[in-house]
Amino acid sequence: MVNVTLKLNGETRSASVAPETTLLRLLRDQFNLTGAKLGCDVGDCGACTVIVDGKPVNSCLMLVGQVDGRDILTIEGLATADHLHPLQKLFEHFGSLQCGFCGPGVIMSAKALLDENADPSTQEIRDALGGNLCRSTGYTKMIEAIKGASCILRGEEVPAVKSA
Amino acid sequence: MKRRGRGMACMWYPIGFTVAANPSAAVVKINEDGTATLLTGTVETGQGSLTVLAQIVAQELGIATDDVHVVSADTDATPMDTGAIASRTTYVTGNAARMAAEKAKLTLFEVAAPLLGVKPTQLEAQDHKIFVKGFPQRNMHIGDVANHARVVSGQPPIGSASFNPETLALDPETGQGKPFGTYVYATQIAEVDVDDETGEVEVVRIVASHDCGTAINPMLVEGQVEGGVAMGIGFALEEEMLFDANGRHINPNLTNYIMPTSLDTPDIEVDIVDSYDPTGPFGAKGVGEPTLVPTAAAIANAIYDAVGVRIMSLPATAEKVFKALQAKREQQPKQIGAGVPQNGGANGKPAVQ
Amino acid sequence: MADKPKVVDKPDVLERPDILRPQTPAPLVTFPVEVVVPEGRQQTPAVGQRASRADGRLHGLGQTKYIDDMYFPNMLFAKIKRAGIASALIKSIDTKEAEAMPGVIAVITGRDIPCNSFGPSLKDQPVLADTRVFHAGDGVAAVAAVSEQIATEALEKIKVEYEPLVPVLDPLESLKLETPGIHAPSANIYGHKIIKKGDVEKAFAESDHIFEGSFRTQMVEHVPLEPYACIAQWDANGRVTIYSTLGRITLGRADVGRTLGIPMSRVRIVATVVGGNFGGKNEIRAEPAMALLSKKTGRPVKCVYTRVEEFTSSTTRHPLIMDYKTGVTKQGKILGRKIRLVLDGGAYCSWSETTLGKACILSAGPYNIDNLHAEAFVVYTNKTMTGAMRGFGAPQVCFAYESHMDDIAHTLGIDPLEIRLLNAFDEGSLSPTSQKLHSVVVKESLLRAAKLFGWNGMGNAGNGNGA
Repeated sequence: MVNVTLKLNGETRSASVAPETTLLRLLRDQFNLTGAKLGCDVGDCGACTVIVDGKPVNSCLMLVGQVDGRDILTIEGLATADHLHPLQKLFEHFGSLQCGFCGPGVIMSAKALLDENADPSTQEIRDALGGNLCRSTGYTKMIEAIKGASCILRGEEVPAVKSA
Repeated sequence: MKRRGRGMACMWYPIGFTVAANPSAAVVKINEDGTATLLTGTVETGQGSLTVLAQIVAQELGIATDDVHVVSADTDATPMDTGAIASRTTYVTGNAARMAAEKAKLTLFEVAAPLLGVKPTQLEAQDHKIFVKGFPQRNMHIGDVANHARVVSGQPPIGSASFNPETLALDPETGQGKPFGTYVYATQIAEVDVDDETGEVEVVRIVASHDCGTAINPMLVEGQVEGGVAMGIGFALEEEMLFDANGRHINPNLTNYIMPTSLDTPDIEVDIVDSYDPTGPFGAKGVGEPTLVPTAAAIANAIYDAVGVRIMSLPATAEKVFKALQAKREQQPKQIGAGVPQNGGANGKPAVQ
Repeated sequence: MADKPKVVDKPDVLERPDILRPQTPAPLVTFPVEVVVPEGRQQTPAVGQRASRADGRLHGLGQTKYIDDMYFPNMLFAKIKRAGIASALIKSIDTKEAEAMPGVIAVITGRDIPCNSFGPSLKDQPVLADTRVFHAGDGVAAVAAVSEQIATEALEKIKVEYEPLVPVLDPLESLKLETPGIHAPSANIYGHKIIKKGDVEKAFAESDHIFEGSFRTQMVEHVPLEPYACIAQWDANGRVTIYSTLGRITLGRADVGRTLGIPMSRVRIVATVVGGNFGGKNEIRAEPAMALLSKKTGRPVKCVYTRVEEFTSSTTRHPLIMDYKTGVTKQGKILGRKIRLVLDGGAYCSWSETTLGKACILSAGPYNIDNLHAEAFVVYTNKTMTGAMRGFGAPQVCFAYESHMDDIAHTLGIDPLEIRLLNAFDEGSLSPTSQKLHSVVVKESLLRAAKLFGWNGMGNAGNGNGA
């Protein structure tokens, strides 16, 4: 067994698990944070994306030993008791998610992007989402929402949604 | 160098099962404050059907989408549904939901009519009110009527209904008959860049003009078109399950089964065709599957327009396009004074300029 | 009657903390409860509103519970052993070593299934293969264990003895009558449809030009981001509740009742929001096997397909071989069309009957064709079963008829848009099955798309300019 202590969505947490446990399993099975999803378990689909020390990672590819002492942000850590994160608000308003399974991973990739790049271009957004597979949406409304969220975070107006 | 081309494809697609009965049932209960609950056996698989059904019920009752709570997908608690398949939910389950809402509404009309001094057939429901047709100032809030229905009249407003499209079996020898209740139509136009040295195809633009009857929720229709087009791009250019000579899978994983990422899809321009189908709920038909149907053909036609090679099998991988380009180059020196080819073959330049 | 779990002489699982899941306090998850309802959801009239989805908010918060997010006390995890061989007789299955593994609570095979066949039309699919394997992804045994890891390891310990048979992989091979039958002793054609209208040979004789084309499409998979999953548990009244990613719970309940031999009133199927279906989750998969494992162990049992199993053991799209022959006037008006479709029907029927019918009906395209002969066959092959996938044959035939249409247009020197407008359905046109069509807008969609795109007539004709 291996003991890990990490900062998880702002709270310090510990667990004692088998050494081959991945960060994804640690989050889902130990901490009941089921937002990060198991889509392939081998790092191909991005549904397990979380942010570790500021960088987006496929949590299915990290072993618990590698996250000891680190700062982890998952989808569950974005909203507060009063507010949705602007990404969550616009993903809802723009209809960016359909089945929703890839959603947490996509939003975390987008969060990591916006933390580094306050005004990303469409191509930069596409690049940031390149490791997140989505089968339902074609990515179009996600890109619109991410652009809009970047406006909110910069304190600007969100461009109007194209009407029917 | 990269060559640009464009191609179009149109299509038709049916709603519902082929001839076979595929009913859906629904129950609508109106709460004492005029909000409502819809019970449906359908399953939300990501397309947003529960929202569309809520909008249909809300429209019938004259209330807002958010006033309708949808309970779904429990064989103990919800009525039967043939399922989220064959693009049938908006049309078949939607019709059932609308009819169920109408029945619940008629109970409210029976309760409201004596209170407003009219017959039930003189009433309408809109903007959270039940009012006399032509005299909207003679109205009651739907919540007041619903509460009255429970505490005074003892008539809880519950409506239950089912719907099945009308079909006619196909003759076994000629295939003639009426297999479906309705169809949808669409055209997609693709613009591609083909690298004539590597065969790589990049989709630069897709315009998709889709019929769905009345668009109950245009945002969700767009979502379906965008998602379908992305799937169509994968079908056209990338995806293939491979087997070895013994029938074992070669690429049963997402490393080697290539499907479109955000880097493979262009911005997709969605257009919803004006259309109304009197057999559908408020004129709606459906849109789930048709969105994927014409994409590969549009892309194949665009490849031809760009580099003059006709890809006869999917996927149009870079290797396939490259080989076709090579074959075309090898043929060209022999092409002196070409006549009209008997088939629209792989090197078909139009004979008539 | 449920069998008591076998008592085997092995170390107590409680002495193996590495395989148990110790309880750890979870971090607090916060989300706002008082959020302003988006305007689209508040407006009346409701039809036509860009109303956001109620589950959209939950998706963005990561709060949507899919099947794999659900946990029940004492839940076991199941894995299914896959044949790995495309065609074979099963001589024996030995599960003793797997059953003896610490942490393995029960193992079942096809023989344990009371009625081991199902299917939306032909009931040729087994829940678990018991005498014969028809494709490499066939399941032959299922294990329930205290962890997924142990269940997966236990699969290795299950010994299956096969007598290999020669697999048939090419649908055109399978079409030949002399090829040995896969399911039946002879002939692999298990579906046939024909549409006949007018006199197609006469139409060809009257045509100015005849065009032929042979098109093929490949096997693809739905790739829902959420793999197939289900959880089964029983109550003391002999009722089984199955949480499943099924898109058709009414059919699912009927199938579970039938395969388990219990009345439908004892079966409850609950679906949650499904993480993508696209047709691949429209019939039962592991539900009856999980119900039996749950019954045998007295505990809830969860089975989640791996991504590999999604490819090998769930349905796929029918590959099609499509031969077209069309006779046209020199103006491009279609006089007659002859079509032959061969559908690769995989190892089991699944939704092939529907796909066959739709492909045949749609194969002529949205065009007025008075003289038509369309014939379609579906054949068995020893590959992954082909079933329902978004479009049921339509994307395949559209690839064929629209590529074919462009070939005709280019050869005759006609604008691809004009040739389609010349032939397309109008309001009231008759379909290939002589159905009078209503609410027809194919020409409108052509003109709107062309305008939006900026379609400019003949195009580059194979000589696209630099991007």
